[in-house]
Formats: sequence, structure tokens, C-alpha cells
Amino acid sequence: MTTMKPLLTHEIGSLAKPGWRVKAIVGAALTEADIEDARVWGERLGVEGHETLLEILRRSPLDSEQKQQVKDWSSRYGVRLCESAGLDVVYDGEQQRSEMYAWAIAHANGFEWRGSTRSFDNKYYSKAAVTGPISMATPYHNQEFGLLQSVARAALKLPITGAYTLGVWSFDEYYATNTTLTGTAAARRARREDGRRQLIIDLARKLIRPNVESLIGLGADWIQIDEPGGSTEPGELDLFAESFNESVQGLSATFSTHLCFSDYRLFFPGIERMTACNQFNVGFANYDSRELGTSGEARPGYAVLPMFRDLPYKPYLGIGVLDIHTDFIEPPELVRDRVLHATEVFGDPNRIHVTPDCGLRTRSWSVAYAKLQNMVAGVELAKKELGL
Amino acid sequence: MSFQGDTAELRVPYAANLQKGEDALIKAYVHGIYPRSESVVAATRDLDRGRTSPEAVEESFGRDQDAFVALQRLAGMDYFSDGLLRWQDIFRPLVEASNGLSARTLVRWFDNNSFFRAPAVQGEIGLSGLPAVYAAAHRVSEPRVATLPSPLLFSRAAQGESHPNDLMSDLARNVLRPLAERLVAGGYSLIHFQEPWLTYHGVEDEDFKFFSESLGIVTDGLGATTVLQTYFGDAGPWASRLRDLPVDAIGIDFIETDFESLGSNWPTGLLVGCLDGRSSRMESVEETVATVRRVADELQPTSLFVGANSDLELLGRVVADAKVLLLGEVSARLKEGSE
Repeated sequence: MTTMKPLLTHEIGSLAKPGWRVKAIVGAALTEADIEDARVWGERLGVEGHETLLEILRRSPLDSEQKQQVKDWSSRYGVRLCESAGLDVVYDGEQQRSEMYAWAIAHANGFEWRGSTRSFDNKYYSKAAVTGPISMATPYHNQEFGLLQSVARAALKLPITGAYTLGVWSFDEYYATNTTLTGTAAARRARREDGRRQLIIDLARKLIRPNVESLIGLGADWIQIDEPGGSTEPGELDLFAESFNESVQGLSATFSTHLCFSDYRLFFPGIERMTACNQFNVGFANYDSRELGTSGEARPGYAVLPMFRDLPYKPYLGIGVLDIHTDFIEPPELVRDRVLHATEVFGDPNRIHVTPDCGLRTRSWSVAYAKLQNMVAGVELAKKELGL
Repeated sequence: MSFQGDTAELRVPYAANLQKGEDALIKAYVHGIYPRSESVVAATRDLDRGRTSPEAVEESFGRDQDAFVALQRLAGMDYFSDGLLRWQDIFRPLVEASNGLSARTLVRWFDNNSFFRAPAVQGEIGLSGLPAVYAAAHRVSEPRVATLPSPLLFSRAAQGESHPNDLMSDLARNVLRPLAERLVAGGYSLIHFQEPWLTYHGVEDEDFKFFSESLGIVTDGLGATTVLQTYFGDAGPWASRLRDLPVDAIGIDFIETDFESLGSNWPTGLLVGCLDGRSSRMESVEETVATVRRVADELQPTSLFVGANSDLELLGRVVADAKVLLLGEVSARLKEGSE
């Protein structure tokens, strides 16, 4: 793993898909407002040649080749949004993908869809059931990575959804074959847990790892294994750590993971075994105060930082400083104070990275862009305070 | 008839009161939040993205609610629910209709890939009116069931500075009780309280009496049947105290609980949570009927309800619909056996 600069800034994963991309892909009629939106953002972000996109959009409805071109333009826009906001490490915000769970499952054998399930509020995901042996149908991020390599000016990080999250977000109709009400509840629980262990380890070995190997073969050097479901079952943190290691152990790249919206204390001591993980990206701002201040009392959302600091393999920690579930634009001074608090706890700014809590796909591009710009501005304020 | 003897046939201990058909003392119903249809999913997504109007979304909700009521009728349910289809989580409508509460921080809903916004206490708490989610309640057939959070769940999920037991009493007296009264006055004859906290996290022994008192604040003299549903955990360790709570029936998650751990001579009603609200597999009708019969034989509850162990919200709509129909078949078979 290469040494990274202190207070490295990056996005976590997703951005909203622009209206023109969504409409073009589903075949809905594009309005002048959609095309104007593409023009305005193309100019604002400095997307070179974006006039070509406008010409394509004006031809809607589009054929499949044109739809792919629109997706590619959407990726260019996403990368430029991150670069224009000033991030050190960039990505396209999943513009090539349907959704972090659905994209992976759609490229795996052994699953059948079971309909939409709500995550929260009006946010849903399509949930599948494992119904047969798991395998990778085809490497599912290669095309995306090839495109982003050709587009990005800044360093790239590629997020992929991890085995534990894919497993815990799926129904099991294959591994835990006996769910009968006869017998004891303890026996039912044991069968369920055994089935899930087999499911998740199979996902790590037969889907995630071959996909990661394929990406490394193309030159990917930083892969983020997203595990928003990581702490769903507090009793399975060993399985979570094992699945991460099974996915990447012995492979040559920087591997990080993303955790969010959990009681992070539950991850300890389980993740002490995640020695193949070089960096954690963890959402904290959702739990924090919006008042300024660098003390522990002023920063209640970051109380768990010492536990990450003390991990024996000394990973980098990407601290979430942007609440991705509100349109509140964190002022640079608030970001600064969150960063200064973290660096004080760690006693070493070299181990701190700065990120949003999670992907920004639930925010509009205007809000996401403003948040990211302020995040970068806040980091600059912190660097100034720290003399970096 | 009695519970003694052949376990292959349900024998109800309250023979003198037993009536057949629609008035049978075995009751089936769907409780909690029900999954939204794919059309409502699309409509609400579009609303968030500014691509449709609130009026269009409400029309979609209305069609969905009507379809859900029709499904319950088809399945032969004994109480009808609106499916809480408009609820963003089990607390949100109550928070939005109350003074002194707000909702912001996303918190995981137990061990599920589902989240709620934790109620935050910001001042003196009081229900200010009937939550807007009940505006279309008149379109739901009677008898109706309403689902509310139990005072214990509500207080433990909330974030505030007062002692959780004080908050529990406050929420019971100033939010849940006035709301329950309005619901009963509006035609709801069964009030179902969700209580996963107790069986998932547990509470200290000294807290249990505050829980019982708070529940009593809501239920005493309410004028409706009340059911407290425990789930997502083993009710066995709590059985001796659950049976004394001031409700008409206790719901037990029989996916997580062995009926043997509940003792015998259950002195109150029982809701047998026998369909798994977190599994897409369909249960066997025969096996489920046999399980309910065995539970009833052993525990001899004063009244018997059958349902899912939890909300069906964590399933896709098609799967949930199939489980409701399955519940109806189970209920019909049980009622046949009681005649």
C-alpha cells in the first residue's frame, strides 16, 4: 500500500443520477429543462466536449448504443464534479451502475428478485433471494473502470459492494434449507446462521474475489469494499471480518472498507482481525452536533474514534464529516472542527482522511457539490491550523 | 370443548362463548407496516425527485390501500388494517403530530437493513392532533386494527435528556393515550402495540414495572381490544411478567420462541406470531396450523389471535401478499377445527 498524504479527501461512492440520464435510459421524454441542466452542469464542471452530450439528448428516444453514451457522459460529469469540488481521490458516483446491491446481484448467478424493500423514508432497494449455487456471471466493473481510467485526472478509487452486505441484504432460499417451525428456536437460529455463513463466504470467494482480481488485472490500485450492512448482526462481526479477508487477502492493491449508520462499537473487537484492510471510511456526521468546537464534548458523533485509532494494524481512517441525509450545507468551520478533533484523538493527521458519511446519491447535485466544496474548504482550514 | 386431549384438533377452552364463522374466537389480522406496492415505490421516489405531485402520490397510496384492504378481505382477515402504507416509520406520524418531538437521526431498525428516524425530545410533549396518516382511514373496512409503538419501544428509541422511564410515562400519557382514544372513537376496535425492544435488547428488572404502568396508562378503560406484540427475540425469559401486563393479549414471535418456555395456563390472550416476516420462504399451512394448535393446547389462552411474527414490511409486496393469503388459509383451517 502506498503512503497517502494527510487529510486526503474523497467521495464515498454514489451520486444522484442526473434527470437527463435517468430519462434517457428509461426512454422517457427529455425536456428542454433537462438539456439545459446538462448544459449548465457541463459548463460549471468544465466537462470538455459536453456539447456532444446535448446533441445526443436532443435525439431522444435513444437506441441502446446512444444510451450507453449517455451513461458514459454521466460518468464524466460525476468525475468532474468530484474533481471540481477539489477532492484528492475521485469516482463517478456509480453512474454506470443501477444501484450498489442490484448491480452486483444482476451480474451473479444464483439469485432471483423478490421485489422492492424500503430502507428508510422513500428510499428502497430491489431485494433478491439466493436460490442456487453462486458464481460470477461476468466481471461487473471492468467496463466502468476502463472508462474512468480514461477520464479521471485525479487519483481513482473504485467502490464495490462487499460480500457481507450482499449476503445480509438477500433472502436465503438455498443455504438454510430447513426453516420449519418444528424443533427448537435455537435449532432454527443455528440453521439460519449456518446458512448465512455459507452464503457470505461463497459470495466472498465466488463473486467478490474474482471481480476484484479482474479489476487489479486492469490496473486498479485502490478498491473500497462497501459494507453498509456490516453491523446488521452484531453476533456476526467475525464473519464480516472473515468475508473481507477472504475477498482480498493476498491480492496486491490498497483495500479499504466503508461502514455507515451503525453502532460502530459493535465492530470491536471483530474488525481487529481485518488485517487486509488498509483504510476504513466511517460515517459520523449523522450522529454529531452542528455546533462548532473541537473537544470531545462538542463532537459527540465521533466518540468511537479511539477504537479505530487503536486497531493493531494501524489503518487510515476516513472520517465522515457530511451528513448525507440532509440538505444542510456543513460550513467549512464545522468540517474544520470535526477534522481537528479527529487529528487530536489520533495524534497523527497522516492517518486521517476526510469524506462524506456515505454516498451522496440522495442529495441533488447542487447540494452534493456545495457540501463537497465546503468539505474541501474545511480541510484547508484544518491544514492551516495544523501547519500542514 | 377443551384444550385437553387430541392435539391434532384445536379445542378452545372458552366453549361457552365460542361462536362459529365470522364471530369465531380465533382471530387473524395483519399488523404493523405493510410493504408498499411497486407503483407507490415509484410514485414516492418520483416525489422525492420532484417528478410528480403530492396529489398524484396520494392517489397512488389510495389505490394501494384499497388493494390491501381487498386482499385482507379475500384472505378472510378478522380485522382490517390500512397497512400503515403512508408511515415513514413506526414513530414518524406520531412525532409529526406531537409538540416537543422531532425526527432526524437515522438509526438501524434492530438487525435489519431498514432504518428509522429517532424521535428527539425537544420540549414538553403532547399530541396536537390526529396524525395526517389517518385521513383516509374511513376507506378501511371495519372492524379495524391500528398499530402503534409500545411505550417501552417508543421511549427507548427516542433520544432525550430525561430518564427513559419518565419519558415512557410521558409518551404514554401525552401521545399514545390521547391518540388511542381518538382511534377508538373513530372506529378502531383493536389496538396493536409493537414491542420488539423488550425481546431484542431486554430491560432491567426495575424498569419492567414502569413499563407495565405506562402500558396501563394507554390501555386502562380504553374500550378496545389491546394486543402487545413482542418480536425479534425470545419471549421465554419474559413470559412470567408478560402474562400480567395490562393488555388483552400478548403477541409472541414463535420463530424465536419455544412455546415450552412460556409455561402453561396462559392467563390472558395470545397472538401466535407464526409467519416469518423476514423470510421470503412460504411456510407450510399444515405445519403452521399444527403449531398453532399445539401452542393453544399447551397454553390455553383466553383468546387466540394468529398473525405474522413481525411487520411484513421487510418483505417485497408480492411475497407479503402471498403470506397474507397463507395466513388466511391457516386461520380458516383453525376455525374449521374449532367447530
